[in-house]
This record gives sequence, C-alpha cells and structure tokens, in this order.
Amino acid sequence: MNKRLTLRWPAPHWPSIRGRGRTDAGPLLLTAAVIAAVALLAGAAPALLRAAADTAVQDTVRRAGNDSNVLVHANFERDDGPTGGRVRMPSLAEAVDNFRARATDALGPDLDAALLPPVAAVNGPILGITDGSEPRTFQFTYLAGDLGGPDVTWIAGSAPGPAVSDEYVEMPYDGPPWPVQVGLSEADAAALDLGPGDRIPVRDGQGRDKDVRISGIYRPADSADPAWRLAPALLRPVPGADGVGTTRFAGLLSRESLPDARLAIDEDQLRRTVHFAPAPDALTWDATAALARQVVKLKATSGSSSDRDRSLKWQSQLDTALRDARVRNSAASAQAAVLLAGVLTATVLVLLLAADLLVRRRTPVLSAARQRGAALPDLGAELVVESTVVALSAAAVGLALARAAAPGVSWTWAVPVVLAGAVAGPVFGTLAAARASRDRRQPANPAARRWIRATGQLRRAAVEAAVLIAAVAAFVTLHQRGLLPVAPDGDTGELNGDLILPVSALALGALVGALVVLRLLPLGARFALRQALRSRRPLAVFGAAQAATTAGRALPLLVLISTTALASFALILGTTVTRGLTDGAWSTVGADARLDVGADAEAATPALAERIAGAPGVGQVVVAQVTDSARVFTESTLLTPRLVVVDTAAFQRLLATTPLPDAPALARLTAPGPGRGDVPALVRSSDGSLRTGTRLQLPREGAPAIRLTAVGAAPSVGGADDVVIVDATALADAGLPAVPNTVWVTGPGAARAVSNTGVAADVVLRADVLREQRAAPLTAGLVRLAWTAAAVLLALGLLGLMLAAAASASQRWQTLTRLRTLGLRPRDARWVAAGELLPPVVVTAVCGPLLGALLARLTLGPLDLLLLTGQADDPAAVLPWWLLGLVSLALLAAAATVVPVESALRRRDRLSEVLRAGG
Amino acid sequence: MSGEPLLRVRGVHRRFRTGPTVVHALRGVSFDVAAGSMVALVGRSGSGKTTLLNVIGGLDRPDAGTVHVDGTDVTTLDEDGLSRLRREKVSYVFQSFGLIPVLSAAENVAAPLRMARVAPTERERRVALLLELIGLADHAQQRPAELSGGQQQRVAIARALAASPQLLLADEPTGQLDAETGLSVMALLRGIVESEGVTVVVSTHDAVMMALADRVIRIHDGHLDEQAAGQPDTPTPDAG
Repeated sequence: MNKRLTLRWPAPHWPSIRGRGRTDAGPLLLTAAVIAAVALLAGAAPALLRAAADTAVQDTVRRAGNDSNVLVHANFERDDGPTGGRVRMPSLAEAVDNFRARATDALGPDLDAALLPPVAAVNGPILGITDGSEPRTFQFTYLAGDLGGPDVTWIAGSAPGPAVSDEYVEMPYDGPPWPVQVGLSEADAAALDLGPGDRIPVRDGQGRDKDVRISGIYRPADSADPAWRLAPALLRPVPGADGVGTTRFAGLLSRESLPDARLAIDEDQLRRTVHFAPAPDALTWDATAALARQVVKLKATSGSSSDRDRSLKWQSQLDTALRDARVRNSAASAQAAVLLAGVLTATVLVLLLAADLLVRRRTPVLSAARQRGAALPDLGAELVVESTVVALSAAAVGLALARAAAPGVSWTWAVPVVLAGAVAGPVFGTLAAARASRDRRQPANPAARRWIRATGQLRRAAVEAAVLIAAVAAFVTLHQRGLLPVAPDGDTGELNGDLILPVSALALGALVGALVVLRLLPLGARFALRQALRSRRPLAVFGAAQAATTAGRALPLLVLISTTALASFALILGTTVTRGLTDGAWSTVGADARLDVGADAEAATPALAERIAGAPGVGQVVVAQVTDSARVFTESTLLTPRLVVVDTAAFQRLLATTPLPDAPALARLTAPGPGRGDVPALVRSSDGSLRTGTRLQLPREGAPAIRLTAVGAAPSVGGADDVVIVDATALADAGLPAVPNTVWVTGPGAARAVSNTGVAADVVLRADVLREQRAAPLTAGLVRLAWTAAAVLLALGLLGLMLAAAASASQRWQTLTRLRTLGLRPRDARWVAAGELLPPVVVTAVCGPLLGALLARLTLGPLDLLLLTGQADDPAAVLPWWLLGLVSLALLAAAATVVPVESALRRRDRLSEVLRAGG
Repeated sequence: MSGEPLLRVRGVHRRFRTGPTVVHALRGVSFDVAAGSMVALVGRSGSGKTTLLNVIGGLDRPDAGTVHVDGTDVTTLDEDGLSRLRREKVSYVFQSFGLIPVLSAAENVAAPLRMARVAPTERERRVALLLELIGLADHAQQRPAELSGGQQQRVAIARALAASPQLLLADEPTGQLDAETGLSVMALLRGIVESEGVTVVVSTHDAVMMALADRVIRIHDGHLDEQAAGQPDTPTPDAG
C-alpha cells in the first residue's frame, strides 16, 4: 500500500469543538482571564520601564550638574611681537567667538541638538590676594555666549574698559605689570571692602604683583543664569575652592579688557573654554548610546597639550553620566525581567493545572469519542483549534489593554504564556484520549509492574535533573556575569539572549525548591501515616493516608510552592528597595537634617548649632567642616576626596542615634598620632587608593602641608565614595583650625529647627531626599512592579490552590465515598478531606516564604539594587515577616474554606452518583 | 434458600431525571434474599443492576418502596444510621477495588475494623484470618500497586468481610479482571458464603458467576425476572 495514501490532514469535527466549548465555558474563560491578565502585565511593564528610562536619563544628567557639561579647551595663539615683546590683541574677544563657533560645529548634529547654546569662559590663573591674614584668592574671568555675556547692572562705576586706546601696542616682557580692569559683584566688593577705582592687591605664584583695577560694581540681572555657574565666584565669594580655609573671589572682564588681561599675566596662563550644558529634556534613552559615543570620540580626538597646539581639547563627564543612566536602566530592566520571568513561570504552571482540570472534566467525553473510533490527530486538532483561539484572543485583549495603559507594548513576554495556553490542553487531552484505547489493567507480572514504576521514576528524575542543571547554570551565570550588559552601549533595552539564563535564575530556583519539597513531602506524609497507624483514631489514619496518597502529585505542589516563593521574593525585593531608599537617604544627608552654611555665614555656624540644639525635638547637633574635592596628596598622587573635619566624639554619638553604620574606628582619631606630628585620619576610597597606613599631606596656603596618617576605615559621609575624616581638635592642634560649614541635626524636631535659622544656608532634609528618591522614575517603577508581581503571584497561587482542589475533587470524593461505604460518617469525611488538602498547603505556607527568603539571599546581590537605592553597598535582603505571614495566612484561609465549600457543593450528591461517576 | 430472609425488597421504584428526560431505572422491584445465600443480579448495561445494589446498601434512596436488611428499613435511616448500617451489617465490593494505595494489604483490610474501633490485638487476628482466607497471607505488607488486579480484588473482598457484615454487595467484581482471575475471585466469594455464612448479592455479566449463585435475578428495563441457579433460561414469576 502506498503509505502516502494512508496519511491525511486532521479533520476537526466542528460541532464537537463548539459543544465542548459551551460545556466547559467556565474553565476556558478562567484560562483566558489568566492569559489576558498576565499578558497585560507582561506587555505593559517593559513599555512603562522604557518610558521611565527617558525620564531617568534626564534626571541623571540634571543631578550630575556641571559635571555633565561638555567642555572644549584651546590655547590662544601666541602674541609675540616683532620687537621681542608681547603684542596686545584687541580682537581677542572675536577670537573667543570664533573658537566657540568652531567647537559648536565640531559637536555633530546629534550632540548639538542635545546641548544648550554654548558659553565661552576665559579664565586667568589663581592669584593670591595679599591684603589680609585669611588665605584668599582671585581670578579674572570673561564670559561670552551667543548673545554676549550674562546681563549685569552696574550699580557703581562702569564696565571694564581697555587699558590703552591705541590699536597696536607691544609690551616688553620685562615691563611693569600691565593694568587690567575688572568688575566686582556686590558681594565680592563688600567682602573685600573695595570699590570702583581701587586696586585689588594680587600676586601670582611667582610672587609678582599684578595691576588689577576695579572699574565698577555690578549686580547680575539674573543670578540664575546658567552662565554664572561657570564662575560662581563672580557672584559671591566661594569658600574652599582653592584649598581648605581659602576663599575665592573673581573679577568680571569685558570684551574691551580681555586683551589687557592677557598681557597682565604670562602668555600661556589665560585659558579659554567653551561650556556646553546638556538640555535634559532633549535627552532620550534611544539617543544616549550615540551621544555617549560621540562624546568619547571627541575626547579621543583631542590634540596634544603643547603650548603651540591650538586644536580643540574636549573634556566631559557627560558620557559617564549617560552610561551611568544606561547602567541604572539596564539594572532596572534586568530586575524587572527577573520578576517577570517569575510571574511567567508561575502562570505557565497555573495554565498547566487549568489544562489538567479541563482534561479531567473532559476525559469521559474524549475517551468515549476515542472508543467510538475518533482518530487521535483529529481529536488533537480539535483541541488545538479551541485552545489557540482562547489563548490568542485572551492575549490580544491583554495586550490591547496594555497598549491603552502604557505608552507602548512588548509582546515578547506574552509568548510563553500564549504557548502554554495553546499547547497544554491539547497535549493533555490527546494523552487522555490515547489512554482510553489502551489496556489499563494492572499487569499480573510483578516484574512488569516494577518496570512500569521504574520507568515512571526515571522519567521524573530526568526532568528534575534537567531543571536542577538549568538552575545551577543560571545561578552560576548570574553570580559570575551579573545582569548588566557587558557593554552598556550595546544594551537595547530588550532582553538579550545571553541574559535569558541569569534572568531565569530566580524562577528556576523556585522550581528546584518546589521539586525538593515535592520529594520530601511524600516522605513526611508517610512518616505521619506510620505514626497515625499506631494510633487508635481512625480519622488520623484515613487523613494521613489521603495525604500520603496525594503527596506525590507534582503539578499542584509545584504551583503552590513556586508562586508562594516567588511572591515572597517580590515582597522581599520591594521591601529591600524601600528600606534601601530610606538607608540611602540617611547616607546622603547624614542625619534628619543638614545645613550647608554659606561662606559668608560660616563664622556663625557654632552659634547657629547651639541655637538649633536648644530647639524642641532636637537630638544630636554636630558641626563639621566638609570640603568636597579637597586636595590631598599621597606620596605620588593628588587625590580629591571629601574632607570632613569634625568633633569625633560628637560624630560618634550622632552615628549611634541614626541607622547609619557605627564607626568604632573614629575613636582612633583622638588617640595619639602614629607618627610624630602626624594627624590621624580615617580614609575610604572606591578604588582602594586610600587604606590604613597611607600617609597623606594636606596642603595649606603659605604654610607647610599638614601630615595625615590613615589609621582606619572611614564611614561613608553624604554618600561619597572617597572620604578622609580628621578630628577637628587634632587638626587645630596641627595648625589648621576648622571653619565649620555643615550642621547635622537629628531628632523629630530637626526639620523645624533648621527651617528658619536666619543664616544663609542650604537646608537638606532627609524626608525630602527620601521623597525624591522614591519618586525617581526607575525606582518607583521597579517598586510598583514588585508589589504588582507579588499580588499577581499570590493570586496565581490561590487560583492554583482552587484549581488543584477542583482537579482532585472527583477522586477525593470517590475515595471518601468508598470510606463512607465502610461506615465513615459524613462529618468525619470532611476531616479526612481536610487531611488530604491541608498538608501541602501548610507545607507551602511554611516553605514558600522561606524559599523566597533563600532566593532573595542568593539573588539580590547580583541584581545591583544599590544602583537604584543610592546605598554605598549591596543591600542585605530585608524580610517583611508580617507580609510573608499574610501570604501564608491567605493560603491557609483559602484551604480552610475549600473543604466546607466543597462539602456543601457535594451535599446533594448521592453516594451512588459519586461511585457511578468514578466508574 | 433456607431460613428467614435477610434482605426484603418491596415495590422499589427509582427514577432519574436527565434534563427533560425521566429514566425509570427500577419499576416496582420486589424480592427476598435468605441469609447465607448467594444471589446473582444479571442484566444488560443500564438495566438497573447497580441502582438496585445502591438502593439495597443505602447508597441511594428509592422514590418508592422499602428495603429491609435484617429487619432494619434502610430507606428510613438518616446518614448516621446508614453509616452504622454499613459499619455493622452491609459491605461493598466494587469493580474498581477502591483500595487505599499507601496502605498495605493488611492495613486496607483493617480499615473497617479501625472504623469500628476494634482493639488492635483482635484487629490483627481478624486481618490475619481474612488474608489467610483469601490466600494472600504472604502479601500482607504489600501495597496495592505491588499486587495484581486479582489480588487487589481479593483484598477488597477481605476488607468487605472484615467487620463481619451480614450482607455483602458486589457490583461486577470481576469487571476489570481477566477470565481466569475473575473465576478465582468468584470462587472465593462462593467459598465465603459457605465458610462465613455471609449473604452475597452480586451483579455480574459472567455466566460462571451465575452458575455459582444460589439464585439468579435477571433485571430487564427496571423489572425483575427471577430464575433458579443453573437454569438461566427459565423465567420465574416476579416476587413482588
């Protein structure tokens, strides 16, 4: 016979499909609802995170401030004159304009569109002010944007003019100091006590006096003009800019006085720089990779630094900021992917359980159809048609809702759910139909029975081994590789193939845990049965026997344990991030409130601290001198850590009253120094360049540097990675008294106490910082996803419990009915039913949350949560016991309601009907 | 047949409603069964055999008529009364054995004794006796999955006999067994009637079983046709 003649396409019987669909509309609708709900979550979550990524990029760049500016430097052309002197270049301002235009052209269209119009700044060297005992410095600066410099109003005198009126002037190298006119801000003039016509007594590093004259006093038209940020000393004196204890002043140059400024200093000392500030609103996630690459390319093309080289030299941290934003977004995406993988795994298991229930209901119909001669391919095709229609329609509804709720939709994550929904029912149904035409009798030959058992056990062991191997591989990859893309620029925001394994680690871990419990539960049930058999209570025996009989059912327990463990993990993740944000806020502020005192009010800081300490509700008040980017030298390197000069004992008391980690090493700062004359210091550095034993030098203006020796590890202060802490008294004894500029305040009344101090100070409240961090787009999105995932997983777990109970109900009541034929009373039957249903739920209620906690411990580290929480180190898992308890309680409560409900539903069933239905 | 009837069935009607359709499973069935006899209920599928057994055992209630077992009207008992009846007087053997899979053969047999709170020593003695009776003394500690179908049905019979019932109802006990195994099970039932004095009502399609019975009651469309054992073709008047 020609074999091809015997092959034919399956021919579904459409009336049967319609009939079965009508009969089982309930379970089919339930399956559809699960698919639609999870498709909605899986479709919307990635799109919402993607939308949050744009906001997060803009947020990161805003927070980076001036660090994200793109700077371009270029040397001026030489001004050698024909007679051996230096030529005054009256068109120097035009040269700066040309330089700014040249830099703008070099940006390229993409980068140009992402940056605000440039501002060129020309700065002189840092000069020392010779008048007065306090170390003060001075710098003259010229600012020019596309529309000129920032607007000012001259409230005294006039704008700086040229020193000479001649077009061409050549100045000998050894001539007297060339005069240059500058304008001073009101604040600078008041602090220096100088006015128009006065000379500022300044001297350069070689001790040469400079002739800097004040042409006028100005007031900025808009002190918030971004151009002022390039030289804040043009608005007011800036403390600490040139070393601890120093104050910098600045003089504003005009287009006319700029050529004189050049001649007033050495030829190579006038620096011109074009500053491009980013336009955060123009930045999007999609553009970040290209922009970062362009910035890196510009930096790489920077020319040499020789004096004669006038090529553009690029400098920016924008690429780093953008990469940081991408890394944070990649971390958030990966964390979301881990949660989604867990939800999808649980959903697939629940769909398998739903298919199992559906097929149990249909087994008599399918068996009858098979026994009447229906071909398996035809039956399979009918079931495939039905399940595919249900799965695809439900997924379409879910994704449509996702599209309505989110700015986009990702269908990739919905695929596994749709596949499970479409395939599980037909496979189970076809197998059930196939069994109908098989000999179901127990073989009389014991060897044959053993072979059947061994084959089944081998199949199961093979599946379990495969899951275990996959889980081990996933965890190893997760810990070795992590979840972040290898090259941040290569991250497309979508799940890459190489991330599938580590992202699946959590779900696979939950499955392995469930399989372990699945292996142990029958052992426990048999042990309980053995104990019960020794008792005289028949209910204990039958209950334990029922429990032992059903303990080996894989799917219900896998669903219960996996969903509970994954829900617990999601709750732990959400709680850990939430707690991490709180800790991050403590770390950032250092107390309940912090005052950053302005330079002109520093002298009032101790009195201010005393006043705050007397306010109601205030606990600890600690003053310190905090200098960011302080210049500290090791033997070979200049470092710029955060220098904290503080009363060590008070600082220790402060730490003891906050959740910030204690720093017992602080006690060493007041102990005698390790070396003669050395001041002990605590150090902390991100790259390990500062460690115990390191010797440092703290330079001073006009005095020998102070020697420091690191005697221990410093705690993080204000979230800084590189920190040096010195005791205020020890430093004062070494000759550098601290000028406190920071006040940390703790206690419930801290916020109120620092709100109206009457002193020019920035108030930083921990509550505000926490609120901001919680509202950060990626963090808020991840926390919301964690809570949603927990709720969905718990709902899936409860649904799984109901489905498992419904799927086994027929068999359970069959058994109970047979026991009733032996004389068991109806009310006793309910206890026996509870004996079957409760053990797996009790085990789940105990083991699920514990497994979730274990998974959290194993996976939270590689998830890089600190990128979102702002903590200094990886956060430890925070276990929300009451939430985990609620999960367990919900499961137990649901199980406790199943038996009475089931019993009530079956009260009208006659025993004869139950036995007849069971065949 | 000899002695007072252990089972008295009078005018039993049972109807089932399936949607708009009403099926008359039993139509005024009446008959007596004497203690210590074995009666075979025969008839085609759907003739009402199982319904009749269920009504006799109190698993189902008739729409009309009475069923007396050892003088007790089964149809008037409440659930507790029925439970007591099943513990003390009536037991069942089903086609699908219905053993508890995690219990050994001995523990399965002991189940009704536990229900009746029989003392452990007496329970063990009775179980040993019954396993000896069914020829599975060597398989006492084996679980149902380790036994063949015939062995499992023997265990089910031993379990049914454990509480020393007066009436044993067996619904097609050989339905899932091959012919040879089925024959041995039927021989066992016959032997139990002889040795234990139990009254057995068994529904069956099996001609051999009919031959082993003291009486054969044929059910056809809810009506009874009775005939003597060994004379399957000879109809007898309706007892009712």
